Amino acid sequence: MHPRGDLFQGKYPGVANGTRAYSGAMRSPIGRLVALLVLALALGGCAGHYPADPHGTLERVTDGELRVGVSHSPPETDLGPNPPTGTEVDLVRQYAETVNAHVTWTPGGEEDLVKQLKNGHLDLVIGGLTEDSPWDTEVGITRGYAESTDEFGDTRKHVMAVRNGENAFLLDLEAFLAGHGGRS
Amino acid sequence: MSAQHHPVDDEQLSPEITRALTRVVRLEWLTIGTLAVTVTLVFLVLGNSQAMKTAWVEDLLSFIPPIAFLIGVRITRRPATAKHPFGHHRSVGMAHLVSATALLVMGTYLIVDSGSKLITAEHPSIGGIQLFGTTVWLGWLMIGVLVVTGIPPVILGRMKLKLATPLHNKVLFADADMNKADWMTSAAATAGVIGIGLGWWWADAVAAIVIAVSILRDGITNLRAAVAGLADARPTTVDNKKPHPLNADVDAFLRQLEWARVGAARVRDEGQVFQVEGFVVPRTPDVATPDRLDAARKQLLALDWKIRDVVLIPVNTLPRVLEAEEFEGHSH
Repeated sequence: MHPRGDLFQGKYPGVANGTRAYSGAMRSPIGRLVALLVLALALGGCAGHYPADPHGTLERVTDGELRVGVSHSPPETDLGPNPPTGTEVDLVRQYAETVNAHVTWTPGGEEDLVKQLKNGHLDLVIGGLTEDSPWDTEVGITRGYAESTDEFGDTRKHVMAVRNGENAFLLDLEAFLAGHGGRS
Repeated sequence: MSAQHHPVDDEQLSPEITRALTRVVRLEWLTIGTLAVTVTLVFLVLGNSQAMKTAWVEDLLSFIPPIAFLIGVRITRRPATAKHPFGHHRSVGMAHLVSATALLVMGTYLIVDSGSKLITAEHPSIGGIQLFGTTVWLGWLMIGVLVVTGIPPVILGRMKLKLATPLHNKVLFADADMNKADWMTSAAATAGVIGIGLGWWWADAVAAIVIAVSILRDGITNLRAAVAGLADARPTTVDNKKPHPLNADVDAFLRQLEWARVGAARVRDEGQVFQVEGFVVPRTPDVATPDRLDAARKQLLALDWKIRDVVLIPVNTLPRVLEAEEFEGHSH
């Protein structure tokens, strides 16, 4: 009386074809919201720097002041002379020229400088930082711009630190470093 | 896969069901392959975006249902033994419970994690990457990966959903349903990354929360269904929305037996198949012969492939729970 395997013929209306699961009804408003958001963001993205800086670092330092924190870590940075010297100091000077900024140097210990960077008192921190830096969640770390081998035989990828989320500035600096790194 | 044998009466499964099972197993392997590629690609461009991280975790979690399904289906095929007289069908239900719990825990964790990033106003840093001699913002790569990896699960999900109903497999349904909604995860993560680009640091955390909430909701829905199944609740359709039509079909069959005054059944959902416990009140005590009971049992087994085991008991009155159902106006 009931043939086997007949569920494929849609014996139970709305069940065999019941692909309209709970998801469809419950999720579509969220889906629409997300789609709208994507559209709004895409349209909004047409103005200014993309990616942009939430705190406008790149715009502020361009034709302005670049506030750099330096911790002592020769040969990248040397706080002996005033103003400081070192390979990273030279790189920062060259970068500053590309955005027509004049550099003000703030010497200090790494932890203190990171804190100042976090709070927006500095724009950039240098001092022999590497990709393994413990600060990488507190501040924005550039891609490794150069590699060297330390006295323990480990490879160190040299980086600089910017304020977290200042992505236009980060990207601009990284683009500069990509063309001026290569020191090993 | 070889022909499917009935684990209790050793009868072969219908060709349609065997074919559907073979197709689903193939689809699930395809899903695992796709996921492996997705997880690798997303990991490579993960960066500091919380939304990307959340989407990545969801991709990782998506491994559980297909794996649970494949293991579950493999174990259900084991025949019933003296030690396991009911067979191994419950393995599907257990797999379902495990997947649901994973979703629930991960969803909760991600909501807390993303919420704390929003509260502490953590600004995500996304820098550049060297591609063909120029510095490209990693965000563009993230969006590219999200768009590309967001498409295959939707197609796979729809294909699986078509097979989940005839196979009546809730793990498969949960898996297909999650896949189908995967594009929303991709869209939310994309919105988060675009937001970061606009300097809206909070967009990332908000997108992550949206994704995490959807994971949590999947977890709650599935946990409810899995627990209901393991607690022998009345079988429902795979989407857990209404009573399964076979409940009524079995009752109707028992009622139309010419030697029965009234009849009704308790049906258990064993994950992929049902077990029927039927009660029949004979017109007179002497008409409930073993031959008649046997014949009725065979006809019930032939009613639908999902009915895998039938017990028929002649009684003086129906159990209370089944009578109550009559008063509720359970229509046939």
